[in-house]
Amino acid sequence: MICKKIKLAFQSLFPEPVPVPVPAEAESVGEDQDKKAKSPTPPRTDGVVEREYSIHGYHLDAQLAPAQLITAVTLLDEAEFFIESITGVDWIKDNQLEVVYDFSRYDFDLCRVVLRTRVDRKSPEVPTITTIYPGANWHERETHDFFGIKFAGHPHLIPLLLPEDADFHPLLKDFKA
Amino acid sequence: MNSPILLQPDETFILNVGPQHPATHGVLRVKMEMHGEYIVNAETVIGYIHRMHEKMGELKTYPQFLMNLSRMDYLGALGYSHGHVLLVEKASGIVVPERAEYIRAIMVELNRIASHLFWFGAFVMDLGGFSPLMYALQDREHILDMLEAVTGSRLTYCYFRFGGLCNDVDDDFITAARLFIPRMRKSMKKYHNLVTGNIIFRKRLEGIAPLSKEMCRKYGASSAVARGSGINFDVRKNEPYSVYPEFDFDVPVYHECDSLARYMVRMDEIEQSLRIVEQGLDKLPGGPIMPDKKPKLIKPPVGDYYQAVETARGSFGIRLVSDGGKNPYRLKLRSPTYSNMHLFDEACRGMMIMDALAFMGSLDLVIPEIDR
Amino acid sequence: MGTQNIPSSVVQFALADKLINIGRANSFWPLTFGIACCAIEMMATGCARFDMSRFGAEVFRPSARQSDVMIVAGTITKKMMPGIKTLYDQMPEPKWVMALGNCAISGGPFAFEGQYSIILGADVFLPVDVYIPGCPPRPEALLQGIIELEHLVSDWKRWKNPEAS
Repeated sequence: MICKKIKLAFQSLFPEPVPVPVPAEAESVGEDQDKKAKSPTPPRTDGVVEREYSIHGYHLDAQLAPAQLITAVTLLDEAEFFIESITGVDWIKDNQLEVVYDFSRYDFDLCRVVLRTRVDRKSPEVPTITTIYPGANWHERETHDFFGIKFAGHPHLIPLLLPEDADFHPLLKDFKA
Repeated sequence: MNSPILLQPDETFILNVGPQHPATHGVLRVKMEMHGEYIVNAETVIGYIHRMHEKMGELKTYPQFLMNLSRMDYLGALGYSHGHVLLVEKASGIVVPERAEYIRAIMVELNRIASHLFWFGAFVMDLGGFSPLMYALQDREHILDMLEAVTGSRLTYCYFRFGGLCNDVDDDFITAARLFIPRMRKSMKKYHNLVTGNIIFRKRLEGIAPLSKEMCRKYGASSAVARGSGINFDVRKNEPYSVYPEFDFDVPVYHECDSLARYMVRMDEIEQSLRIVEQGLDKLPGGPIMPDKKPKLIKPPVGDYYQAVETARGSFGIRLVSDGGKNPYRLKLRSPTYSNMHLFDEACRGMMIMDALAFMGSLDLVIPEIDR
Repeated sequence: MGTQNIPSSVVQFALADKLINIGRANSFWPLTFGIACCAIEMMATGCARFDMSRFGAEVFRPSARQSDVMIVAGTITKKMMPGIKTLYDQMPEPKWVMALGNCAISGGPFAFEGQYSIILGADVFLPVDVYIPGCPPRPEALLQGIIELEHLVSDWKRWKNPEAS
């Protein structure tokens, strides 16, 4: 099973296996949410976790430091994954921006891998993966458009979806039109 | 790889195709650096129809967002809505009655046939043949009649709800669908006679724009772009969802990698969709179309969710980051045409411009889906 | 524009003007300018079932210099606006503009608090003659819009107004 192989390969990237605190998922929908969610969940440490596919829709979830990205993506490229998408999430409360990478496979040995890295909100910079996956070019440009994340080494980081002279980043939580 | 276009003196000139152009299927602009008829370099410029769907995903509640999915890819709108409702149902734990899932699958497949018919008409029109557009759109009108009677819209459907459907199908729909299937099969024979065997058509597409498997993988291509290059990838088979495991259908895969292969993949897909509709109508169970227990307010638990579905244009993915509130914290829409279109810049180097436009047609682009 | 400033000349050709206007009304040449979803309904109107050529308007010209009606079908974004203005300026007089669909009338479903990318309707920067509401409007609505434009351009009516008789 490719999932086990990839998980082992990723685990070798991290110094020692730390039990990752998975945020407690509320079982009911609706009513009691407000009362339960007030206690803050501890921040997640770097590591790779297996997720329940039937609920979450993906198999492996790895949180990395930006410096480990290239190694991890090279591993996935050698294992014949294809790049599905790259996006960002603005965690304004933690003062961080998260870049989320989705990878999947073409064959029937299904394994969806999600890579995440977190960077500081004031000066977000992440290395580019366009040297490994040329398809990441537009995805990174779009993430830069929406969140202002700089991808170091990107050949052509200009606005993609916004006008050429745009200097705003609309999907940040404190964006005012 | 994209690199900025620099003006070369004497040798090359820059040709600007679009954003208003009959062959670009929407507002797409391609800056082509030309050496005579040959393209040296191309740079695609998008964003002319950026309608802020992801921003609206954060500002709207879950039910309010249902209408947005149809405006993304309006030709195959039901497939996108399907992905969205499946995601939220998965995250919230809502169980969908079986009848609703079967009807959803039938509707999505009919919509897929309508989308492929429109693509077929527009593609052949790009190559210069105007008549198939008329025939294809006439057939498509029959499907739209059926869908309109049940859903109320011709193009931008808002038919699926969290948990099921808003309206049940009646006997008129089932009779009409059963009559449509043999009629469509006859039409497909007509299209193959009229178009596929045509010598001009074949010469324009055979050997044009070969895309290797490696290139498809590096860009994340899906649907006919991948299947025309020998990659057997269809989300309905590789990552089954909804009631698709119950149906017996094939996934057409061609290994020639050229534009003709991509064309044949889509034509064969129409036949496979007809098979699914037939089986769906045979197996359609009775029962309710909405579940008994459904939360009044949709608030998925805190977490990160992903759902992929196979739409007419490829593998559509939605990622939901929920913070437990009634609006999504982040809703990312992974559009298949975005990844398919990205290939164009690298693949069209060294091609003649007319071949590049035929290649663009074979990618089946819908620009608002790229720009979201 | 619906009316033009025709400078008065020594010899008046009222009957000839009237005939020319009837000719213009019966043969609009629209610009192929579908932006988004409404473009599909525009194409469906041009095709076999709804048949815009009954009203003389099936000759879609890709070049703005050869067309006289611009059917703005779809949402106008700030990035696209200079292009549309250029196209409008390239069209020769007399020319008309039809706003097809809610997005071209007033921004449609994409006009929300905090939007950063679209122009709220074609009439922000273009003189619109006919508004056709709908999301998307049915092909019959587009045909009705063409008939309204015909009434604007010439006095000749295709059929009697049923309420008036």
